Amino acid sequence: MVSVRYEKVTKRYDDGTEAVKNLDLEVADGEFLVLLGPSGCGKSTTLRMLAGLEDISEGDIRIDNARINDLPPGARGLGMVFQSYALYPHMNIEENLSFGLKRMKGEEKIGVEEIKSRVDNMAKMLGLSEELTKRPKELSGGQRQRVALGRALIKRPKVLLMDEPLSNLDAELRHQMRGEIRRLHEELGCTTIYVTHDQIEAMTLADRIAILDKGELQQHCPPMEAYRNPANEFVEGFLVKHLNDIKETADSLFKD
Amino acid sequence: MSGERAMRDWYAPLEIYTLSSWLRAAFIVNLFLLSFDFLRGEGLVLSLLGILMLGLLVNTLPDGSASWRRDVSLLLSGGIIAIGVLSVLSEPIGFVLWMESWLIVPGAISLYWISSPHVSRWNREEMELDRIERGLARNNEYSSSYQRIGKHVILAHFAFIVLLPVLWIIDISLSPGNALGGSFADSFTTEHFSKILNGDQFWIWMTNSLIVSIGTTIAGLALAVPAAYAFSRYKFAGRDQAMFSFLLVQMFPGIIIIVPYFMVMKTLGLLNSHLGLILAYSVTALPLCVWMLKGFFDTVPRELEESALLDGCSRFEIFTRIILPLSLPAIAVTALFSFLAAWNEFLLALTFNTSNDMYTLPVGLASMISATGQSWGDFAAASLLVSLPVVILFVLFQKFLVEGLSAGGVKG
Ligand SMILES: Nc1ncnc2c1ncn2[C@@H]1O[C@H](COP(=O)(O)OP(=O)(O)O)[C@@H](O)[C@H]1O
Ligand SMILES: [Mg+2]
Repeated sequence: MVSVRYEKVTKRYDDGTEAVKNLDLEVADGEFLVLLGPSGCGKSTTLRMLAGLEDISEGDIRIDNARINDLPPGARGLGMVFQSYALYPHMNIEENLSFGLKRMKGEEKIGVEEIKSRVDNMAKMLGLSEELTKRPKELSGGQRQRVALGRALIKRPKVLLMDEPLSNLDAELRHQMRGEIRRLHEELGCTTIYVTHDQIEAMTLADRIAILDKGELQQHCPPMEAYRNPANEFVEGFLVKHLNDIKETADSLFKD
Repeated sequence: MSGERAMRDWYAPLEIYTLSSWLRAAFIVNLFLLSFDFLRGEGLVLSLLGILMLGLLVNTLPDGSASWRRDVSLLLSGGIIAIGVLSVLSEPIGFVLWMESWLIVPGAISLYWISSPHVSRWNREEMELDRIERGLARNNEYSSSYQRIGKHVILAHFAFIVLLPVLWIIDISLSPGNALGGSFADSFTTEHFSKILNGDQFWIWMTNSLIVSIGTTIAGLALAVPAAYAFSRYKFAGRDQAMFSFLLVQMFPGIIIIVPYFMVMKTLGLLNSHLGLILAYSVTALPLCVWMLKGFFDTVPRELEESALLDGCSRFEIFTRIILPLSLPAIAVTALFSFLAAWNEFLLALTFNTSNDMYTLPVGLASMISATGQSWGDFAAASLLVSLPVVILFVLFQKFLVEGLSAGGVKG
């Protein structure tokens, strides 16, 4: 049972910007939640507070009912995929994958054999078995993103966090990786929070979406419900109208 | 037939085409060589005349329309050769031969090419169109490679000019006696080297220099790396002011701080010690080291550290496992910089360490001049030996240097 709960969470940066305002949000066990909203609406901030990369100004964040506000990032049991991959350039793929495992402490400490078998499994699952001895800069963009995904998943995180993981890829690869991410989610059943500004990505990936604007939650529900019953004008404009526009463009293209 | 006219107007035989760019190059090189004549105080007038004629020649090269240009060019070429030969005859030293070859060779090539039947036919406008066509194609094909050769020849000369003082020192160190002149390799001896290497003093100074330089490098890095990391990653009150005040210190000429430094060292009882110099050098090199390293740390993406944070690293582990390995090239460059600064420093070493057995190499070298009169041979040999570790370091660090100076290539 891994659930995440934001309770009246507010983030105020040093310069006074209120990036997230009084956010109440709940992610159920095994759920794929997509945080959707225009750029600058506070999606990354929401995610980074959960990861421990930003302090929480007000309110609490709970994982499985435990308040994690003051836990260091490494102790929260999370895996994160960054937009820029953030692979360690001076390590090969195997070392990149096993880096986090080797840092585990106390009860969670993992033996050498176990690390090796986990790395092999993860590499097989992501089609990276041939690349284990290569450096990140020798891989293609898609492969790098897969390594980043593997590095986050290999620790068997309680929650998987992804911040616009596909924006650096071209359209073709993005489509392919989207399918792969969904497949992995169904295989592993890991609670996932996925940040994007791309409506199509949100619609195809999410169990539920949380739409944000100017730091405030607009609607939180399954994607089709948001499309059919937008809660307010913002959701109507940002999601419904946008999707209809795409549909119309496609229709008019193929009409004759 | 305007097309034909245009081709005739634009076409110049490959010889002329190439010649004009090479003559320009020769002109530039000769301008540089002029400074040698000036230093030697001889042959200045002849060289000036040669350069003048080279300049004229570039502008009178045949252009396919006025036939008098060819005659003038031939005349000038002959004149240039004559001047070169005259200078060589007046002083047949190897060095002068090299200098004057920059008049003789271009002159000879010019004479030969301009008088070729091909050029003369073109100059009389007697060339058929199909030959012009072929010639234009040839120009296209060869001109770029000719220009490349020309560039390399010129660069090689400039490299030689830069190396000349070193070659001179090598010559002096290998010549018997203590004269400064003599032509290259006319006689050969290793007496200066064995004298220096067998004497105790040189080794004492060498040891001092090594201790001080290596100590400075280690102490400097131990201070600069953490400081630069903090400046790059943490926000704290007075950060920008601190960075700027670092620069401020660099703006004063070093000689101003000698007296205060001396007082401090005297109070601390660190005169005539290695530690005193190490402290002074580390502090002097610190601002630049911190700035260099901060610039590099700034290029390491924050997300790498955040990623390591989520992987369970402490701040310190992030520093040792992520930042340090990634910054090795930059750190190597900084280390080399501190080492060189300490190795070559003269003023502070002269002021602080006054007893003979605490001299560093630069001070020791300087003391040789007054102590043993004019023994230039020993002096040259010693200065070569002093530069040797630096050369070795540069060769070893070459890869890092190139990487470090073009730092920032950390992109995932
Ligand atoms: N470190 C920071 N300091 C001050 N303001 C910030 C900082 N990071 C983000 N912001 C501001 O907070 C708001 C939300 O940013 P972010 O969460 O990155 O948005 P998103 O990921 O949805 O594009 C933006 O207005 C942004 O300018
Ligand atoms: Mg963002």
